[in-house]
Amino acid sequence: MTNAPDAKPVLQVRHLTTSFRTDDGIVTAVDDVSFDVFAGETLGVVGESGCGKTVTSKSIMRLLPEHLTIYGEQSEVIFEGKNIIRANEREMRKIRGDKIAMIFQEPMTSLNPVFTVGWQLDEALKYHTNLSRKQRREKAIEMLRLVEIPNPERRIHEYPHQLSGGMRQRVMIAMALCCEPDILIADEPTTALDVTIQAQILDLMNGLKEKLHTAIMLITHDLGVVAQVCDRVMVMYAGRAIEFGSVREIFHEPQHPYTNALLESIPKRGSRRSRSRRLPTIPGIVPSLRNLPKGCRFNDRCPACQQRCIDEEPELINHSLDRPVRCHFPLNQKTQTESAH
Amino acid sequence: MIVKLIKSRGMRRFSRNRLAMFSLAVIIVYFLTAIAVMLGAVSRDDTKERVGPNRLPGFLEPIGAEKRYDFDKWWVSELTNVFERAARENARAGGDPRAVLDEFALAERTIADGSYEDLKPAFDAMTEAWHELDDVFAEQLDLDDEAFAIRDEIKELQAEGEDVADLQAELEEVEALLAELAPRAEALYQQVEANIEKLLPMPSGFAGLVYSLRTMLGTDSKGASIAAQAVYSIKIAFQVGFVTALVAVLIGTISGAAAAYFGGWVDHAVLWVVSTLSSIPYLVLLAVFVYAFQAPALAEWFNNPERPALALVPLYAAFGLTFWIGTCRVVRGEVLKIKELEYVQAATALGFGRFYILLRHIIPNTAHLMFINFSLLFIGAIKSEVILTFLGLGVKGQPSWGIMISHGADGVTNFFFWEVGAATVFMFVLVLAFNIVSDALQDAFDPKHV
Repeated sequence: MTNAPDAKPVLQVRHLTTSFRTDDGIVTAVDDVSFDVFAGETLGVVGESGCGKTVTSKSIMRLLPEHLTIYGEQSEVIFEGKNIIRANEREMRKIRGDKIAMIFQEPMTSLNPVFTVGWQLDEALKYHTNLSRKQRREKAIEMLRLVEIPNPERRIHEYPHQLSGGMRQRVMIAMALCCEPDILIADEPTTALDVTIQAQILDLMNGLKEKLHTAIMLITHDLGVVAQVCDRVMVMYAGRAIEFGSVREIFHEPQHPYTNALLESIPKRGSRRSRSRRLPTIPGIVPSLRNLPKGCRFNDRCPACQQRCIDEEPELINHSLDRPVRCHFPLNQKTQTESAH
Repeated sequence: MIVKLIKSRGMRRFSRNRLAMFSLAVIIVYFLTAIAVMLGAVSRDDTKERVGPNRLPGFLEPIGAEKRYDFDKWWVSELTNVFERAARENARAGGDPRAVLDEFALAERTIADGSYEDLKPAFDAMTEAWHELDDVFAEQLDLDDEAFAIRDEIKELQAEGEDVADLQAELEEVEALLAELAPRAEALYQQVEANIEKLLPMPSGFAGLVYSLRTMLGTDSKGASIAAQAVYSIKIAFQVGFVTALVAVLIGTISGAAAAYFGGWVDHAVLWVVSTLSSIPYLVLLAVFVYAFQAPALAEWFNNPERPALALVPLYAAFGLTFWIGTCRVVRGEVLKIKELEYVQAATALGFGRFYILLRHIIPNTAHLMFINFSLLFIGAIKSEVILTFLGLGVKGQPSWGIMISHGADGVTNFFFWEVGAATVFMFVLVLAFNIVSDALQDAFDPKHV
């Protein structure tokens, strides 16, 4: 795919379908999602709340409650040549933290309150490496220094409640990266932080990606974050991947009406429209996963909805080069001819 | 971490609470006593040994006339026994009467030094005075009867309207004789007691202190020291409280945390056991468990005097199997909350196993509940131990406040409160102090409390 800094994918997700057993029957939260993550790139996963972003990431990590989760028969998550969606718990444990690491949205609760920061970093290192106690301590300090925590020698003796939110998120990143994973899945890592800290954390992640050559899968609903750090973007809606593209393509030439509507609803400074008109919104709400509309899942909110959209669900098709989109009538079609040449 | 705890605001607030600090001191005294008893300061034999006559009252209560006679009579008869045996031994060729005298001892109180011949005069004087005292009492009885008869007669004659001046004079005479007897009896008492003291002197120095401590709270119906029993019971109470609370908290925490964390059939199984057990009144349940341990085969094993350490095991087991229910429920609720927190997911995402996360990440976060439950169960176990022992199901063959209360119960109807009173006060003070301290701790460390 275009803009991929490296042609070799470290993670291939194919036809990922994740369903949950609920009291009302089986609900499919992620439906037939396929994508690749390449070494050294940042893949942004964007979408509204409840569209399946987090379930996708947790399916890859296999963090969902096993007895309530069903993965589709064709689902494949290929990592190091192995389908880890069918791997057993023991194999997963070796991959988690060591090969694929994850950081979470809420830095206030993602560190264990009863242990010091140093203890928790040391624990992760102890579990995945054979370093001696002294080496582990040095590594922990080094990692804290890498995530730009001042005075790491003192900080390792502190408890999470003594750190600020941004500080804790840095510690979480240090913990996630201390075993030098191939992929870092960041599930809304900046949502709970204020904007200045958010920018610092994003800069930090960008810098670390280049330093450690780690692929990042960044899940967010904030298009500003996507614009700042991502190389490629996957847009999700109601459990489906609906559009792929580079950041530039997504922002300048969105093909799916949903992506377009999302971009429209960002306030733009200085644009004539924002002064004269109300900020456009997307009418309606995300359809319930228990009661999805027939045909295209966006049809009831789509401004360009036609009869075909109601009758028939679109496939993910490359209308233009290497830009799969799930729409019968994609926008910005002119790019097809341009990019073909 | 401990230094931080001591310097914390809560600790300062706690140390300003005088009542709480005093209660803490009381608990520490109890605790040190329990340890001292465990190290052998008061042995089990000390609590059974005779230190004086039966039902000797404690230090506060004066001994009435009737009791004085009974106690002196007891001393005289004990000494008579010993000296008669010594006399027989003396009469036998090559006998050693001193050895017989040495055999007799009431704890630290032994027969005075000196040979049999040296002590004989004092014994004779005592016996003589005692017999004389008996005569005085016989005389007193006679005179009492006489006075009674005269009074009756006076009443009769007065009813018939006759002159009673003669009889009045006679009555006065008898009463004068009676009044004369009282100082005589007192003098004889003193003579008897002085001789008892001469034969069985109060030990001096440290032994004397120990002996007076032993008799401080009086003696029970077998003449054994109530103080020693009450103090020894502290050890039993702490043993039962500590072991039970520890076992119950461990079982409760692990089962509750596992139920909440693993869910599924583990949760169902634990909840089923918990709700089944908690539907039975806990004293009944306790009694059933204790009864189960009284099956002949088990009772023989646990009540073997050669293994005194095992004697309390049935109690530990019964309490441990009953008391974990509350802890389990509380911990389950807390873990249901904790397991949804992101640090648990983060730990999973770092590749840790499920048991490891449960043990190292979740259970340490329930430590506050473990401490609270420990202190509640500690007191609960002590109270239940006393109740069960009072009912005859608990501690056997060792002193316990429960045994003291059940033994002392018939004494209460005879106005002898020392045995029941000592056990009650010892337990009451401990329970009260514990409750005050835990209340104060909660107040001091509650962040919502300004």
